[in-house]
Amino acid sequence: MDKFTSDDAFELGNQFRDTAIALGDWRIKNRIRLSRSQWDELDDREIKLLNAASNLYTSAIDLVLEDSRGTLACLQSSVKNAKSAVHRIAIFKEALDLASALILCAGAVTSGNVAAIPAAIVALEDAAAAIVDSGASGA
Amino acid sequence: MMDAFQPKDARYMNAGFRLAVPWVFAALLMAALSGCAGFREVRTFASLSASAASHEAITRDYIGALDRRKQYQPEKFHGNLDVLKMRRKAQQASLDVLQQTVADYMQGLGNLASGETRTFDRSLGNLSANLNKATLLDSNEKQAVGALSTLLARAATTVYRQHEMKQLIREGNPPLQEVIRATRKITKNGIIADLQGESALIRRYYDNFMFAPGNPAEPVAMTLAKEAEAEALGRVDDRIRSALSYDAVLDRIAAGHQYLYDNRNEIGSDALDRQLRPYIDALRAAYRDLLDVSR
Repeated sequence: MDKFTSDDAFELGNQFRDTAIALGDWRIKNRIRLSRSQWDELDDREIKLLNAASNLYTSAIDLVLEDSRGTLACLQSSVKNAKSAVHRIAIFKEALDLASALILCAGAVTSGNVAAIPAAIVALEDAAAAIVDSGASGA
Repeated sequence: MMDAFQPKDARYMNAGFRLAVPWVFAALLMAALSGCAGFREVRTFASLSASAASHEAITRDYIGALDRRKQYQPEKFHGNLDVLKMRRKAQQASLDVLQQTVADYMQGLGNLASGETRTFDRSLGNLSANLNKATLLDSNEKQAVGALSTLLARAATTVYRQHEMKQLIREGNPPLQEVIRATRKITKNGIIADLQGESALIRRYYDNFMFAPGNPAEPVAMTLAKEAEAEALGRVDDRIRSALSYDAVLDRIAAGHQYLYDNRNEIGSDALDRQLRPYIDALRAAYRDLLDVSR
């Protein structure tokens, strides 16, 4: 027998619920022909069916939760990565203080050594790329 | 004019610098513009999603339903309802985690999209002071170098955030879609279906009161019963509408994120910002509807 899935359980719940509703409709339509005890007995069955449907919906939700446990763990890890990425941005800002110091150096160099400017820019770009790369490899 | 009063070597250096300035500015500008990305709409989408994804009232209502139903069932069934309530209570933490995980993920994405750059601007604040010491630059050049250096450094953070966002969206989309699918399934197939069962229970209760064999047909009592039934059914309908609105919110979040995933290489571009807007508008409308119905 195939595994009982959440879809099966939801569908079964619907079947119970709809049957209870259909029984109730029949009971109202045929009330003149029913004795009080027959009416009550049928009413009792309807309540049981509706409660059985609620039970099945609850079981089906259990199955959905069980099925989604793996993907949930995966998403939680992505959420964790997002939080750590934000943390790394904060660190990067500190690293940028260093980069800005380098720019200051470059600025100082420009006053006496124009040829050093392109190298300083390349160094800065490299520093940014290195942080991006370390973010990529660390993720 | 001032060059005439400067030493000969300094004039040569100044001339060399001026030759280099256009190249330097061009390089700085290109670097700055290449990363001159805006994440405004991604931030708006993420922030709206984070607020809308968490709807704990629906879980509370799913558990509270069992207490409500006691009034529509004979006492002999109350024990079963209590057992069922315990089972649902045991599910509460997992149900909350489903919602909270989506909200947390969106919060993370929003934080990436709204990375603070002002702190960094402050760290460059000393740049202009130091540039003033660069005596071979005139004031316009100093201002330009300072401005472009700030832009370049900002571009570096932007490039970094852009990279992180692409990675997060690429890795996060499959599990996010799966978690949203699971939450929607629970909402539509479980919670709403169960509320429809509650409506049937309420109808049965008032039908018994009005139509059971042997019950006297009192017109006033019948009218009151019909009014009470309509009120009780109205309350359940409100709950169903609220659950449907929540389902619509989740649908819009999934659609918006799927769009970001499909176009993740465009993140930071104006075109993506523009094309994301309809998804944001649809999510905002669904969220407004959820807030209205849940009031």
